Amino acid sequence: MKRWYTGTALLLAMAVTATACGAGGRPEGEEKGSTVGITDTTIKIGAHFPLTGVAAPGYSEIPSGHQAYYDYVNANGGVNGRKIEFVVKDDGYNPTNTSQVTNELVLNDEIFAMVGGLGTPTHSAVVDYLNDAKVPDLFVSSGSLQWGDWPKEKPFTFGWQPDYEIEGKIIGDWVAKNMPDAKVGLFLQDDDFGRDGEKGARRYLDSQIVAVAKYTPGNTDVAPQIAQLQAAGVDLVLGFNVPSYTALSQLVSLKIGFKPKWFYSNVGSDPALVGSLLARFSEGAVTDSASLLNGVMSTEYLPGMDAPDDPWMKLWQKVWDEHGADGELTNYRVYGMSQAYTFVQALQAAGQDPTREGIVEAIEKSGASFEGPGIAPFRYTGDSHLGISGMSVVEIQNGIGEDLTPVLVTDLGDTPIKEDDSAAGDAPPSNGIPDVKPAE
Amino acid sequence: MQQLLTTVLTGVTLGVVYAAFALALVLIWRATRIVNFAQAPMAMITTYIALVLIDAGYSYWLGFAAALLSGLVLGAVVERFVVRFVSGKSEINAVILTLGLFIVLHALAAIVFGSRYRSFPAPFGLRGFQIGDTTIALTGFGVFTVVAVAVVMVGLVLLFRGTDLGLRMRASAFNQEVSRLLGVKVGRMLTLGWALAALVGSLSGLLIAGGGLVHPSYMDGVVVYGFVAAVLGGLDSPVGAVVGGLLLGLSLSLVSGYVGSELVPLAALVILMAVLLLKPGGLFASVRERRV
Repeated sequence: MKRWYTGTALLLAMAVTATACGAGGRPEGEEKGSTVGITDTTIKIGAHFPLTGVAAPGYSEIPSGHQAYYDYVNANGGVNGRKIEFVVKDDGYNPTNTSQVTNELVLNDEIFAMVGGLGTPTHSAVVDYLNDAKVPDLFVSSGSLQWGDWPKEKPFTFGWQPDYEIEGKIIGDWVAKNMPDAKVGLFLQDDDFGRDGEKGARRYLDSQIVAVAKYTPGNTDVAPQIAQLQAAGVDLVLGFNVPSYTALSQLVSLKIGFKPKWFYSNVGSDPALVGSLLARFSEGAVTDSASLLNGVMSTEYLPGMDAPDDPWMKLWQKVWDEHGADGELTNYRVYGMSQAYTFVQALQAAGQDPTREGIVEAIEKSGASFEGPGIAPFRYTGDSHLGISGMSVVEIQNGIGEDLTPVLVTDLGDTPIKEDDSAAGDAPPSNGIPDVKPAE
Repeated sequence: MQQLLTTVLTGVTLGVVYAAFALALVLIWRATRIVNFAQAPMAMITTYIALVLIDAGYSYWLGFAAALLSGLVLGAVVERFVVRFVSGKSEINAVILTLGLFIVLHALAAIVFGSRYRSFPAPFGLRGFQIGDTTIALTGFGVFTVVAVAVVMVGLVLLFRGTDLGLRMRASAFNQEVSRLLGVKVGRMLTLGWALAALVGSLSGLLIAGGGLVHPSYMDGVVVYGFVAAVLGGLDSPVGAVVGGLLLGLSLSLVSGYVGSELVPLAALVILMAVLLLKPGGLFASVRERRV
């Protein structure tokens, strides 16, 4: 008797739920798609960033860049009359927290889209949830391949920065051509970041790699790893690591007298941040922290603080002066503003009445033609949701990245690397706000 | 060969810091039968105090002394005004209380000092010593670390074994009721015990920070490894804590260098489990059964 009762109650509950969903779920009508987070005057978006903890240095500045650019756009009338509201939640670079704050953003704050959520391990924890809930997951702040190499599986997720595999390919190709005698050691973060980078580099450099050392983020003692590289006779280290580990690897090398050439991927090479961490340990040898990384090689895909005369940098400086929070403009804030710029383009492409499904379709249709600060074009199509397609190799001198190559553009797998300066000349519109036509 | 040397030497230097931290845990355990998980953030706070002074232009040693002194005061304050309220109740109350303190101090530090990485200076060179053509992974600061911990350990042994004060502290830890009847001011002894422990904890915080980067959670790993080291040594024995710390630092460094850095926390847990299964009293426990 009791079992029968429970069963009926369950059925009844299901029926009621189904009716409720059918009746109230889509007030705007079925064919248009979801408009959660959008009103006639506002559009609410959100993101998770590490505002505290090990990954916070540098990365915690990215959302302030986003916010400054949205404030600038809002002050100039918003997008199609809607002001952009940006909600940032701190996940401390801990995937458990990421799940929790993403739940809050989607269910509580009812955001229209996630924009710029940061980190490979952190975002991996929520990417399936966002796609199941059909929340656009735009421009993830991470170069992992998984955001865009297989869009059928994650139709709502888009990458933004060059992925680590093409970065590895470009670095590997350059080293093989210009330093063919180097004994190469890899210093890798032990996750997708290191793995994708290694995959790309090995495509051109396999025979030159003599040692691979992996560090676990959070374990700050990297002496055993650097000792592995030293023991293998490495004279060129390729680092796919975050900025604090650039500083740690330099410190340990000082300690054990290891003096190779260093080549850090874009993520780990910010001269201002790493220099400020290392300045105290230079034992008076240098007075300005910028010169600490002299001779270190890296890659660039956005104009940054080292190019104050670039038209994009002039725009970012103006935006920051008018709407920025406390502190100076930094490369991380430039990154945030550049991402925000792409989001405004996507929102314009989605037309007068954007929907969640509509914005995804719009990026697939016209994203590849967005002109922005990136020095190489986006790769967005229906078959790829990967972002910027290339970068240039630079050598850091006094905090400035000097180009060693023109812009090199490629894609995953065996797509060849070719020179392509076509996007490097894009200039910002005079009012600093993009003007993208709705995608047809 | 040089790889082995580097791995061993960094292991030893790190092990010494774990040892100092384990010592701090052991001191409180001996006095009150509590494992003080708030030891890590307490040491972090005092290290930040040193950093603030050094950044303001004062010498390293002034910052060093100020950190140790504030450790002493912080330990006494925490015992007298926080932990004292749950004394006489089940020990688990006090342990949970220290976990709560852990979180509170963390958040407080992030608010007061900021959560970004900051570099912490070292008073001695950070280049390894040169022997012939090779540089070995032992720096002036590394030597200082080892010496400082050795001095503290000897000092504590002398205090507990050789002085009247040490005897009273041991007595009040062993049996509060009887000690009180004999005229020992047990409350003061407990406060002193916590203060001393926090001082040793601050020392380990300063040693691990020197020549490296600090942020509010930089001690979190150390509390885990320090705890394992203390259990390894039997939780009751200062010598055991030091030996445990050294063994742990060395084995974790070897695991990181030759097996894989992702296995370091796992290795620490395996060691902890092995000790608890095979020799639950630890390698150096002086009293076999004194569980409450």
